[in-house]
Amino acid sequence: MNLDELPLDQRIMADRNIAIKLIGVGGAGSNAVDCLKMENLDRLQLAVVNTDHQALSSSPVQDKVLIGMSVTRGLSAGGDPELGREAAEADREKLAQLMKGCDLVFLLAGMGGGTGSGATPVVAEVAAEEGALVIAFVTMPFTCEGERRRKQAEEALRALRQVCDAVIPLSNDMLLQETGENEPLLDSFARAYDWVGRGVKSIWSMLFRTGLINLDFATLRQAFQHRGGKTLFSLGEGRGENAVAEAIQSLQLCPLLHTPEFSRKADRLLVNIVGGTDLTLDKVNLIMTSVAEQFGRESHIVMGAVVDEQLQNRVEICVIGTSDMGGRSIAPRRVVRPRAQVPASEPAAEPAAVSRSDAAGEPVQAAAAGPTRQAAAAAAAAAAAKAQQEEFGFGEVESRGSFEKTDRNLFDGQDLDVPTYLRKGIKIAI
Amino acid sequence: MSSNSTIIGAVEIGTSKITVLVAEYHSGRELAIIGCGECPSRGVTKGTISDFRAASDCTQFAIQQAEKDANERIESVFLAQTGGHLEGFSNEASVNVKAADNMIDRDDIKTVCELAKSKELPAGRMVVHHIRRPYRVDGRLVPDQPENLVGQRLEVGYWTVHGQEQRLADTIHVIRGCNLEVGELVLSSLASGHMVTTAEERQHGVLVIDIGAGTTDFVLYRDGGPHMTGVLPVGGSHLTNDLSIGLRLTENQAEKLKLRFGRALVLAKDRTDKVWLDGNYAIGDRQFPRQAIEQVTAARTWELLEAVKKKLGHAFSPETCAAGVVLTGGTAKLPAIAECAGKVFGTPVHLGEPPSWVEERLRDPGYQTALGLLYYVISSRTGSAGAARKRGGFLRGISRLFVPS
Repeated sequence: MNLDELPLDQRIMADRNIAIKLIGVGGAGSNAVDCLKMENLDRLQLAVVNTDHQALSSSPVQDKVLIGMSVTRGLSAGGDPELGREAAEADREKLAQLMKGCDLVFLLAGMGGGTGSGATPVVAEVAAEEGALVIAFVTMPFTCEGERRRKQAEEALRALRQVCDAVIPLSNDMLLQETGENEPLLDSFARAYDWVGRGVKSIWSMLFRTGLINLDFATLRQAFQHRGGKTLFSLGEGRGENAVAEAIQSLQLCPLLHTPEFSRKADRLLVNIVGGTDLTLDKVNLIMTSVAEQFGRESHIVMGAVVDEQLQNRVEICVIGTSDMGGRSIAPRRVVRPRAQVPASEPAAEPAAVSRSDAAGEPVQAAAAGPTRQAAAAAAAAAAAKAQQEEFGFGEVESRGSFEKTDRNLFDGQDLDVPTYLRKGIKIAI
Repeated sequence: MSSNSTIIGAVEIGTSKITVLVAEYHSGRELAIIGCGECPSRGVTKGTISDFRAASDCTQFAIQQAEKDANERIESVFLAQTGGHLEGFSNEASVNVKAADNMIDRDDIKTVCELAKSKELPAGRMVVHHIRRPYRVDGRLVPDQPENLVGQRLEVGYWTVHGQEQRLADTIHVIRGCNLEVGELVLSSLASGHMVTTAEERQHGVLVIDIGAGTTDFVLYRDGGPHMTGVLPVGGSHLTNDLSIGLRLTENQAEKLKLRFGRALVLAKDRTDKVWLDGNYAIGDRQFPRQAIEQVTAARTWELLEAVKKKLGHAFSPETCAAGVVLTGGTAKLPAIAECAGKVFGTPVHLGEPPSWVEERLRDPGYQTALGLLYYVISSRTGSAGAARKRGGFLRGISRLFVPS
């Protein structure tokens, strides 16, 4: 089946839905998915991938994949990323099966451990080979978890950036800044999952809740089209009388936005605003002005607004920004493989199988397709995005602020450019 | 201008500002500061030039200002050197005295010095200073030249400071771009160290830490001369950066907060004690807990001083450093920093005071390096400098960098 063949099959047009899968890899990833399971987001398929049979069997998620049975005999990777990687490599087929036909794959994982660090890059690679847009939310270990885990986490992150369209790291150390004095460890970890969950949910709602000003999958792909730069991701929420001001304020404090204020400028911004029926144009205008102020007035801004009756007196903002950092981009590396035919029994998962050259030559035809224009555009954008796949240069995991572009300042195995209080886990009361 | 005087410019290309002092030097060992120029620097990070054009423009501006102030043209420039690329190592050598009557002659001294300096450097690196430590004759310390002393064995140690050729060339190019000649490169720490310590302190052992905006330069004096030097590419700008990340501010806002509320030790106990960012009741003014600001700055200062101590290693101990620690540089103005350093080093600590002849506007800790450069000129030209070294030594190095182009 090919979208280039006109006229299009009626069935494809009707079922041209976006297949999204949320996959938790490793212990932390699975836990995060379990947490999200409660949210009941429809059309979001959940899955967990783990090396640990025991952990897997206790997960409430339907779709479970045990990897590396031959390598670890169903035991965990024991904190060894190499073992995690081997396990994933051994079961590539299984993983490919899992992600067949997905348009968008979210990966959740905790870096630093065995399965999370080792297997996630392989899973991402397989997902990319299957033609999906891959966005990974990963948590970085606490500094107190030790040097070894930090190193493993950084290596894994580097590997992940090679294969993902976007990697959004969440530093657990940042979360430490938010915790209360007597908060139990479990709650602190839960907080990390919560933030990751919110990140996923916001993208999900951007795609599925039809907005007054709609943002769709094509827009998302478009945002990730010119890469090689940095990505910003931030969420804000506000409620009550001053919902708007509150949301804007919390946008600045989002731990997923792991950069200091002065480096928060993006070339392209995707802003999605969700509010109740009381969302007025005035409020939208206010939000957009201040977002533009914060993240770059000259950026190309794409706005979306969604009205949700359940969010009376509340406003949620999601900002995704990408920008080129001239010269840092990496040449396309991933080979685009035309998607294999999907059996007719899975029509929902049938995306476009457009090769790169076709996509370039076909816009006129796509436009002629009338009602299917959007789908075709999505496919074209997808193909274009694929062709330019490369690493996101996020800067480093740790914030180095104004020293981001300078040489590392290593002393005693630590980068002195990273704030001392972050490295030492000192909690700052903001 | 009398015929036997030269106009000397002391240039310090710092991370926060570029300082130029102009002085008239009479061969009769008299030096008068006649002009001063200053420009906030751009294109310099952590003590090294990152944007040549910007740094060059700023330096040019500062030099012009100083020349205008002095109403004289600078003839030769003394340039301070800092940056994370500078490193040092110590190397010792010893010779058996040749003469039958065990009297040390000039040849023995020359041989032992050559030997001690002969250590090869990795490719792309160049010696900035050979700092000689005192001679020892049969293990006995000799403060002066050992010529004509009697002994079996003559020993000497050198502290060799070396840096990356390109980085050194960068700074020299900036000065050359202003149509000036670089007379000598001087390590920043040596310049400011000379300024804020007395000969007596250096004899007893003293550690000088010059905390600038981008770098922290330190020098440990022992037995009257520099024993060890070092540079850490961390300074006041890191405090600012930490604040801007921690409180999510712009660099300028963080700088303002640092200057007004930063402390080297946490004093505020009350978490609800908040301070205003601008304090002018303007729209957009925000509040921050005083405690948070102090925590961020204190953590960084403590770590910085600890890192200095770690770098010194065994060379430093409170016993060998009887005169304590002297702090200088712009960041030495941070409140409670002396107290903090006292806790880290376990010695008395005081802020560096320039000699009384220094005029009021140059008494700020931020000017000590530039002043020290001039002071260093006199000391080295009259031969009484602690770091005795031949003038030709470095110039030969420079000419190696600038083969006629």
